Amino acid sequence: MNSARTILHLDMDAFYASVEQRDHPELRGKPVIVGSPPTQRGVVCAASYEARKFGVRSAMPSVTAGRLCPKGIFVYPRMSHYREESKQIFQVLQHTGAAIEPMSIDEAYMDVSEIVSSLSSGDALEYADALALGRQIRERIFTERKLTASVGISSNKFLSKLASDFCKPNGLTVVPERDKVLFLRPMPVRAIHGIGKVSEQVLHAAGIFTIGDLQDFPGDLRKFVGSFGATLKQFAFGEDTRPIETSWEAKSISSEETFDRDTEDRPTLCATLKRQASEITEELKEKKLGAYTVQIKIRYGDFTTLTRQISVEEPLTEANEIYRLSCFLLAREKLVNRPLRLLGVGVSGLGEAMTRQLSLPFESMGGAK
Amino acid sequence: MNLAIAKDQIIHGLQAVQNVVSTRTTLPILSNVLLRAEENMLELTATDLDVTVSCSVEAAVKKVGSTTVPVKKVYSLISALTNPEIEFEVDDKNACSIRAGSSFYKINGLAAEEFPPIQKFKENKKITLPQEKLKSMLKKTSFAISTDESRYVLNGIFISLKDHKMTMVATDGRRLALVDEEVELGDTTGEFIVPTKAVNELSRLLSDKGEVEIKFTENQVAFALKNEKGASILIISKLVEGNYPNYRQVIPAETKERIPLVREEFLAALKRAEIMTSDKANSVKLHFTKNNLAITANSPEVGEARESIAVNYKGKEFAIAFNPAYMIDPLNALSCDEVYLELIDELSPGVLKTNAPFLYVVMPMRLS
Repeated sequence: MNSARTILHLDMDAFYASVEQRDHPELRGKPVIVGSPPTQRGVVCAASYEARKFGVRSAMPSVTAGRLCPKGIFVYPRMSHYREESKQIFQVLQHTGAAIEPMSIDEAYMDVSEIVSSLSSGDALEYADALALGRQIRERIFTERKLTASVGISSNKFLSKLASDFCKPNGLTVVPERDKVLFLRPMPVRAIHGIGKVSEQVLHAAGIFTIGDLQDFPGDLRKFVGSFGATLKQFAFGEDTRPIETSWEAKSISSEETFDRDTEDRPTLCATLKRQASEITEELKEKKLGAYTVQIKIRYGDFTTLTRQISVEEPLTEANEIYRLSCFLLAREKLVNRPLRLLGVGVSGLGEAMTRQLSLPFESMGGAK
Repeated sequence: MNLAIAKDQIIHGLQAVQNVVSTRTTLPILSNVLLRAEENMLELTATDLDVTVSCSVEAAVKKVGSTTVPVKKVYSLISALTNPEIEFEVDDKNACSIRAGSSFYKINGLAAEEFPPIQKFKENKKITLPQEKLKSMLKKTSFAISTDESRYVLNGIFISLKDHKMTMVATDGRRLALVDEEVELGDTTGEFIVPTKAVNELSRLLSDKGEVEIKFTENQVAFALKNEKGASILIISKLVEGNYPNYRQVIPAETKERIPLVREEFLAALKRAEIMTSDKANSVKLHFTKNNLAITANSPEVGEARESIAVNYKGKEFAIAFNPAYMIDPLNALSCDEVYLELIDELSPGVLKTNAPFLYVVMPMRLS
């Protein structure tokens, strides 16, 4: 079968925390938490494996992380530094000549079918070349960047992602075709991308706890997970035909901020929105994109989180327009009716800004209410 | 309330008013039409609290009175009835009995007192002009109204009354349409913004005969007219609050090139070229050379277009790109034979003019 593919998934180990430990030797072997300090508000961006032992996870409020891991060393994130590091790592991947689909700053799929001569399935040497390539990539990242990565190799994206996670950190896992069903059997259903808290509860209620339970389930899964049912069944048997999307484009760009203290001070909020709008615009310009939708996100002191969005006819490329629409969204429903814990702006509906419709030179466009 | 009415009369009345009723209203009364029976007349009124439309039609009224009934239900029912005459009778519980030939229906209504009261207008700010003139002015500007709800002052037509003239302006920030006509103003002057919904209702209900009377206050405007079937119609609307931007500042003071074009020929060529545009490449290029205008469109995923029009052009070779829709809209709204396109350079606003008092300013597109 010439349709057989070899897909490699690479995931950096505790990326931000590892970069910090590499750059600051005194942090090595210590529980490092990248994010706001627990005395301030905000969340954990990443935690080193030493900190994870205490139950610290990314996106957790820093206060909680500080409580779980009192000896944790909090480090402010250096996003631009991590982005630069990410570029270097992707260059290593590009050297292989494989088709690459970046998933995030520290994660990518690679279709290496063309590079490795995948032998017929069932052969003991299946993926032998891919295994060598995986080793080579990991070694190169370690030699050149002094960082570790975990790699998973199989015939598709779904399996390879689970494989790279299988012996993290610093691992390399191959799932041969003939073992894939067994490999999946003991895993919890939550391990499947697309099964969140709600679907998990529904499946648990039906007595389905592991992927093995899914494989054995005789009925139609659609009654539990709707239209995802058919895909879920395929995933449970390690089948996944999703291609590697090399023409991957950013689907959204956003910026958000947790305030040191809940605030409804208009000048503070406006300044925050302005800064976020210009950050987003910079990235849009860099990628030569325009956005059709602006979204704002707010979180009140009690963690109630709301988002509101608006779409426009002409793609947005300018910071003042994104700022103006953000203010409009806040004002339209009078959302700042009590202090905010978090405020964020995002843009989506991104498209190439090949041509740009110019605006009439009005000095002021009938300002906000 | 008790009356007999011809089916075509009440259908006509309902069609005039039911458009303003919002399908997503939180107040049940706003889904209803107010029926008010007076001597020889039935007045129907519907509102969404922003725009109110009333229409009076002939009826044989036996007992005056008023009630409200769900407009969609009553319209569906009456249009399905076959008898040419319909009798209405409303009891004191607002149950509306409808009889037509051998059909009998009872629709539960709500008390007329619950219907939002209709504002009264003072007589001092009032003008009268031919319906045809108002209709034509709306047609020449309404297409440029902004639909961007974040720019609410642009979600309507700006009307200015001064110096014996009525001026109408609409803009969405990328193009602007302006028309002014001489109108008998008397002592009346004023400026206001009529919201899009009222503009749409007005455009739909105006006829080509008779006059329309416009009254306005600080925050409301009323248009009273008789339509082609002789029914009296009143449209009342809230005005858009806020200051309209200074539109004079975006009208170029001078021009470099003035190119006469045959409107229909130019329009047809643009409409054909537009077919070859796409979401990503949504511009047409106007390329002027000596006595020739080439209109081209090119989108990698669709294909390309090339139109050639003989024009009286003596200037230097020059190209400018526009969103084709922004050129097609005004050309569609006009009815004259010839238009003039005035251009300065490829990044400055283009201006479309006619021999009548009409002006259209449109920004070009920058190609990267």
